[in-house]
Formats: sequence, structure tokens, C-alpha cells
Amino acid sequence: MAAPNKSSVKIAPGAVVCDECELIGDITIGARTVIHPKARIIAEAGPVVIGEFNIIEELVHITNKFPDGAEEKRNSQVMLIGSNNVFEVGAQIDAVRIGDHNVIESKAYVGPRVELTSGCIIGAACHVTTGEKLPENTVIYGSKCHRRIQRERPPAQNLQIDFLTKILPNYHYLKKVTKAPSPQK
Amino acid sequence: MATFMDVNLVRYLCSCGKRYPACRLYLCRHCLKLRCSDCVQHEVDSPYCPNCLENMPASEAKLKKNRCSNCFDCPICGHTLMTRATSQMMANPDDPGKSTPKKMYYMACSFCRWTTRDVGLPDRVVANGGWPDEDNADAKRINTLLESYRAVAQREKAEKERKKYVKRRSHAGFQDKYGLTSVAMKWKIQPAVANLSIKEKENEKVPSPPQMVEPVTDFDPLPPEIFTEPVQLEKVTHLTHRLAAPEFQPAETVDLRPIHKHLLVRRSLRCRECEHNLSKPDFNPLSIKFKIQLIALNHIPELRIMSPATFTPNKETVVTFTLSNPSVYNTVVKLLPIEGETDTDYMTAKIELPKADLVLAHHDDTAVYDDSSKISPEFKDDPRVIVFRRANKLGFVAKVTPICKSGDVKVSFQMKHEFRNTAAAIQSEDKEPKLEWLQQQVFVRLGRIGQ
Repeated sequence: MAAPNKSSVKIAPGAVVCDECELIGDITIGARTVIHPKARIIAEAGPVVIGEFNIIEELVHITNKFPDGAEEKRNSQVMLIGSNNVFEVGAQIDAVRIGDHNVIESKAYVGPRVELTSGCIIGAACHVTTGEKLPENTVIYGSKCHRRIQRERPPAQNLQIDFLTKILPNYHYLKKVTKAPSPQK
Repeated sequence: MATFMDVNLVRYLCSCGKRYPACRLYLCRHCLKLRCSDCVQHEVDSPYCPNCLENMPASEAKLKKNRCSNCFDCPICGHTLMTRATSQMMANPDDPGKSTPKKMYYMACSFCRWTTRDVGLPDRVVANGGWPDEDNADAKRINTLLESYRAVAQREKAEKERKKYVKRRSHAGFQDKYGLTSVAMKWKIQPAVANLSIKEKENEKVPSPPQMVEPVTDFDPLPPEIFTEPVQLEKVTHLTHRLAAPEFQPAETVDLRPIHKHLLVRRSLRCRECEHNLSKPDFNPLSIKFKIQLIALNHIPELRIMSPATFTPNKETVVTFTLSNPSVYNTVVKLLPIEGETDTDYMTAKIELPKADLVLAHHDDTAVYDDSSKISPEFKDDPRVIVFRRANKLGFVAKVTPICKSGDVKVSFQMKHEFRNTAAAIQSEDKEPKLEWLQQQVFVRLGRIGQ
């Protein structure tokens, strides 16, 4: 891996990014996103862009990996994560396209060739490694990774974000906001 | 502790001939024999709901089809459904322009996230219950079948009662199911008794057989769409979903409904020989206590393998065992070899057991907090046999010589130990409980022969 360039992390105002989390490479974090300590985001193959109102809990690994077999060229792909997503404790995400309102439960794994649209729930410890675009509101659950389509997408976690924004600074040092408020979303 | 991780390494012989670890056995205080769950009588105490812990008599449970009326399971994954509250804006009937928030409840599965809203069930106003049960389309047919079979059962019962008074020829009992017996009886039974039975016959009606079901001979052809339309797997239910609701067997996910939770049963165990209770739980399902719980672990010394060893064929290896005493009295244990055991299923090694009696110190609840490791002088131990002694536990060594070339090293021996029968003491009002000697056969799997 190339030498980590910590200076290229951009944090929008209103985001709560704990200092003990590991951010390596070119990462953009949207407003009101909460990143817990010990989360790890690695922009290896290119920048990682995280939207607004996301919760990234402890021990979550979000990695923009070099695609298998491809030449290890930097800035070859951009990883886009939308808004209102929840990444629960210990989840691992290698998918480069994640929409809005998804929930990745604890210890789940989302492989690099999967595309999450929106409203999808990857259940605890479910591994999704197929090369497909999951339809909206897909729920994957259970040890056999059963699938079903939900009628409603999971509700936004605004209350939880408000609570964490209040409580996390009491016990953790935060990373400083680096990015001036941008006009676009 | 090898046996702590794998309880099946040391097994005791139950009185029924099966081998079980001590934690799976019961000791009947009245027969003074080990019992396992296969040789005791299981009795239903009361059915209860595992979710809301409501318990009810068995007759009531049967009326509710052994299901809880308030708790539901997810029809998709079988997890318990939780009630969720939401507030919805409802139009105010007095003032149509305004709307007031109103609490509404629906049920959701926390595991697969199925909700009652997924299948379009309207939210409820009350938090508990009130979910409508669908009517079973076949309920009428089931009821007529039940009624007619009940009549048959009653008839058979009545005939059985009569058999007690009327002595029959031995083969007469076999043909009475279809009302032929009374015809036969006319010929076979003495006139006076026969008259009586004919009279009875006149009184009782032969139950009419239930209406037969028309056998299905042909089916409608499959609709043409089935070949042209792509399958939408997420709209079709799995086989497990259909079998979870056998009365409806929904084929599409929109027809799934919450399933009433199955009741569980609190059971008590009874010794088959002396009919005393071996295990009786507290009546209240909230409590995890037992009124009577005679598990063997509380009464007989527990043998464990202290550390695993590797063996070589025909070479002596020293193995350390521990024995712990659950009793509040000092207990003498004698270990006796089994002579002439040739069955290699249970014995693949010779074991040289300590010849002397092993005296186990009494169990003391406070000894756990006493960390002074002084050896109590009351025991004169041979340091070559007894390796250590701590509270109610002692470690002893035995020499094991495998006689097989490969595979598991298994030994078996008798353990004879004192047992103070506290149950008998209460009855006889003696100061000192009666001392008994019990003998258990122990099977130990020590390890494998190293290559």
C-alpha cells in the first residue's frame, strides 16, 4: 500500500469523527455523519466519499480496495457511500457503491462487486460477495442469507445521530473539521 | 479441566445400562440408584408461553391449541415478534381541519425485519392482542370429523367397560370395531347375558361414518404465464413458511400472518421404580428454582481428568484425576478395578488404581473465599498417590498402560463411595444421616494413542 496521506481527509462541519478512528487516504465525510472510535476507513484504490447522516460504529472496516487482478493504480476507482446509512459494529464493507438508508448489521460483509441501492439491510454476520446490484429494500438475514423485499425502507436514525453528536465529544477527542462548507450536498 | 470442556469424557453407568456424564444423571434418594432422562417418567406440569411466561392448565392450553393468545412468531423466520408503537396523524372527527397524533401499534420482527405492515395488515389501536385470527376454511369439516371420531371413541370405551362384566371368548375382542360383536354374542354368550347386551345395543346408535372426501383426479392445466413470466422469488413463500401455518399454507408472502407462539411445557421427572419425584420445578414459570432437584452431581463424587496426556502402546503413563465431593460430609471413596473386562469398546488400557481409600473433605461454600492453601492435618495422605488437596477436591494419580495399538485410550473402573441419605434421616429423625455405600461404574476416555 502506498504511504498513507492523512492530510487529505475532508470532514464537513457537523460531522463527529472520533480521533481514535483510522482514516487513511483521500476521504470525504459529509455533514452530521458520526464515526465512532476504532472504525477504519482506508482509501487505497481511490477516494472514499461518505455522505450525510451516516453512523459508522466501532470496528467497522470500510475499504476501497484494488479490484482483483487489476493493476494497483491509485485513483482508479471512487467509493461512494450515500446518506442515512448505518454500519453496525464490526461490519466490513468493500462495495464501492452504496446508496441511502442502508443498514449493515454487525459483523456483516459486503464484497467489492456488490452494489447496494437503498433501503437494503444486510443482516448480522451475513456475507454478500456476489457481483450484483441489490434491488431496493432487500433484506438479507439469517445464517443461510435468506432474502426478502421489504415494503418500507428502514427509518432514518436522526435521534440516534443527535444523541451521539451530544455524547461522543464528552468522552472522545474529535478530528477537526477541515473542509469549508461546500455549496453542493 | 478436560471434563469441564467435554463432559462426555467421564461417564457413569446409569441403572438402566446407559452411560451418561454425571451432569445428565439423577440420583434417586429412595432407590439409591442413578437414573437418566431415558429411564425416568416425564410428566407435564403446566404449559406456559416462553415469551410472556403466562402459564395455564393443560385443558386450557388444549383449547387454545397449545398456543399463546397474545404472543406471536414471525411467519418468515420464526423469531418472536415485537410490538412497535408509532404515532400517526388522525383527522379529528370534531374538527376536520385539524389532525391529532394517535398512537398506533404494529408488530415487527427484529431479526428479519418482517412487519405486519409488509403484508398490509392495518395497525392496531391497542398494544396487546386484538390481532384478528383468520378463519380456517376447513374448520367445519374438521369439526364434523372430530365429532364422528369422538362418537366412535365413546362407543369403543363403552364396549370396553362392558367387557369387564361380560366374559368373552378370547377372539371376540378383535371384531367389535364395526358393531359385529353383538351379532356374534347372540350365539356365544349365555342367554341371560346376551339379552342384556342386546338391550344395550338397541339403545346405542351406530355413529354414522363421516362424509368421504372426493378424490382429486385431474388438475387444471398450469396457467401459460408460468412459462413466460420470470419467477419473483421474493414474492413466493418457502416450504418452511407454508408448513409453519399448516391450516392456511400461504403460497405468497402477502398472505403471511403472524403465528401464535407455541407453548412450552414445564415438566417434572419421576423415578419409575419408587415413584418419587427426581425433579420438580417451581410452579411459577418466572422462577428458575426447583422444589426438588436430585441431580447426581449434587450427591456423588465427581471424577475429572486433570490434564490430557499422550499415550504410547504398552507403556505406562501417569494420569492425574481429580475427585470433588459435593456432600457436606467427609466422604470415603474406594476405587476398584473391574476384573476380566475384555470388551475393548469400554476398556483399551489397564489402569493401576490407588489401593488405599481416598478421603474427600466435605464441601464448604465458604471455602471458595478462603485462599490460604494450608493442608488440613486431618488427612494423612500418601504423597505418591495424592498429588494435591484443596477444599473438597483432591487430585490423585493412576498408572495407565494402553493395551491397544491405536485409537482412544479408555478405562473403566468401579467407584465405591459413602453416601449419607439425608432423606432417610428426616424420616427416622436420627441425628446422623444413615450411611450407605454406593457403587458406580465409571467410563473414562483418557485420550488418544500418539503416533
